[in-house]
Amino acid sequence: MKSRKSILPRRWPRRWKNAASYIIVGGWSGFSLFFVLWVVFASLKSTRKLFSKPWSIPYDPAFGNYVKTWVSSRFGDYFLNSLLVVSLSVLVLLIVSTPAAYVLSRGKFRSRQVISSFLVFGMGVPIPLLFVPLAVIMAKLGLADTLSGLGLVYVAVSIPFTVFVLQGFFSSLPSELESAARIDGCKDWQIFWHVMLPLAKPGILTVAILNFVGLWNEFQLALVLIDSPENRTLSLGMYSLITSMKYSGGDWAGLFAGVTIVMIPTIALFLFLSDRMISGITMGGVK
Amino acid sequence: MMRRRMILVFLMPALTLYLCFLVFPAIQAFYLSLFETSGFGDNVKWVGLRNYSRLLTDHIFWLSVGNMLVILLAGGAAVFGFAFLFTVLLNSGIWGKKLFRAMIFMPNVIAAIAITTFWSFVFMPRYGLLTNILKSIGLEDLAKMAWTAPENIIWAMLVGLVWISTGFFTILILSGADKIPIDMVEAARLEGANNRQIFRLITLPMMWDVLLITLVLWVVQAITVFEFPYAFGGPEINQNLYTPSIYLYIMGFGQRDPIYQLGYATAIGVTMFLMMVISVTVLRLLLRWDQVEY
Repeated sequence: MKSRKSILPRRWPRRWKNAASYIIVGGWSGFSLFFVLWVVFASLKSTRKLFSKPWSIPYDPAFGNYVKTWVSSRFGDYFLNSLLVVSLSVLVLLIVSTPAAYVLSRGKFRSRQVISSFLVFGMGVPIPLLFVPLAVIMAKLGLADTLSGLGLVYVAVSIPFTVFVLQGFFSSLPSELESAARIDGCKDWQIFWHVMLPLAKPGILTVAILNFVGLWNEFQLALVLIDSPENRTLSLGMYSLITSMKYSGGDWAGLFAGVTIVMIPTIALFLFLSDRMISGITMGGVK
Repeated sequence: MMRRRMILVFLMPALTLYLCFLVFPAIQAFYLSLFETSGFGDNVKWVGLRNYSRLLTDHIFWLSVGNMLVILLAGGAAVFGFAFLFTVLLNSGIWGKKLFRAMIFMPNVIAAIAITTFWSFVFMPRYGLLTNILKSIGLEDLAKMAWTAPENIIWAMLVGLVWISTGFFTILILSGADKIPIDMVEAARLEGANNRQIFRLITLPMMWDVLLITLVLWVVQAITVFEFPYAFGGPEINQNLYTPSIYLYIMGFGQRDPIYQLGYATAIGVTMFLMMVISVTVLRLLLRWDQVEY
């Protein structure tokens, strides 16, 4: 695309324009890096040092902040809760969404289009609209304030996006393989299990990662559905730490240790799989 | 041909969960908004549309709608401005496009609640990073500015929100731009088209779909935004940070002290949903109409 020239003055030599691009794009990108490094550094200082020298590099790291946050602020428990509810939700989500996406993209039946659109509609439902009804339903089912209740809701709200992306993925697979398998005498479910599912692995992995990251960071539904401290997920624990700090004076260093604990798993995934994640999102977002 | 039974078995689990925990509560919201109650146990009182008429005269609700509009319009202008700028710059043939794209997107993989902690520290009065920077470059007057004062706090929050959203919309718009076939541009250039003509006649029309979809996504996100402003506000969140979603949550569940006006809270949710549907419809009509004009 050459329309760049409409933004930068036309008479500038190419080298300058390039330099300007690098400075703008690099500056914004550099800020992401700065954010992560600054938070990690902040989590390794004493709170007093954090305030007196916010830019310094902690050469004598105060790992005590992590011990305090992990043990006294119970981030260890919250971490396990999050890991448990998010992994199980993603697993169940894949188990129910993959077959659905498969028949919606490869099956030939009359209501296929209707069901597809009906599922896509779910992406437009604002989560806050569900706050009160879900609280009521969970109370009726005896699932209020439980991680299993939260997990069920996580699966349900993630189904539309997941099925949508997987459906696109299944549609992109060549249909020759399917007919070849049929000629060889494979039954319907054998075609799915032995032929299509292995081919769809990259797509399944993509939605698994995207949902893992999304649910790991999820906050609003957990806030509404979880009450007791022992059931808190990591983002709820983070919020309760902020809340308690505002009343008990500022242990900012411990807070940043918490921030680091929350963000390390997703950043680690992103480091290795950023391409896959970005292509998955653009597939779901723009189509 | 797939057998009917298999289709049924494959679809049922997903459809059941989807119906029970998404579609059903969404429909139930409309019904619940016609009651006045603090618990949906015994003392449920039918009030018809009175929750909605109460909303019309509730100045806190209108304050939250005003904040939402600030996010929608000012935030949207900033997000789309940056996203288009980055799309153009990343596609100008610079080295490391994928790396920059990933770095710009990165804040989106971090929990909003974790990011707000950082921004709270940036805008903290007296000791914050921003004050610190301004002091060190000698801008003492600006350094004394109360960024988190009630009249400024929404702008302070918006900085962080724009930072995250720009990354998200950059990758969407960039992927739209990348779908424009390069030989089309080359062909036009050979025919003697200048840059402006190429932009007007090729880039823009081919980006139109992406523009419509991203605008719809932004409108939906801006109207329903909850986590970032809520976490930024902390406990006893300032009313100048209320969005309709936050007001809904406060009326339904309260913060430190529970409130439990469940019917009223749900009416806010339904109103929000209607605002969303109306704006998306208007947006579609506007952009379609523009496209025909072209």
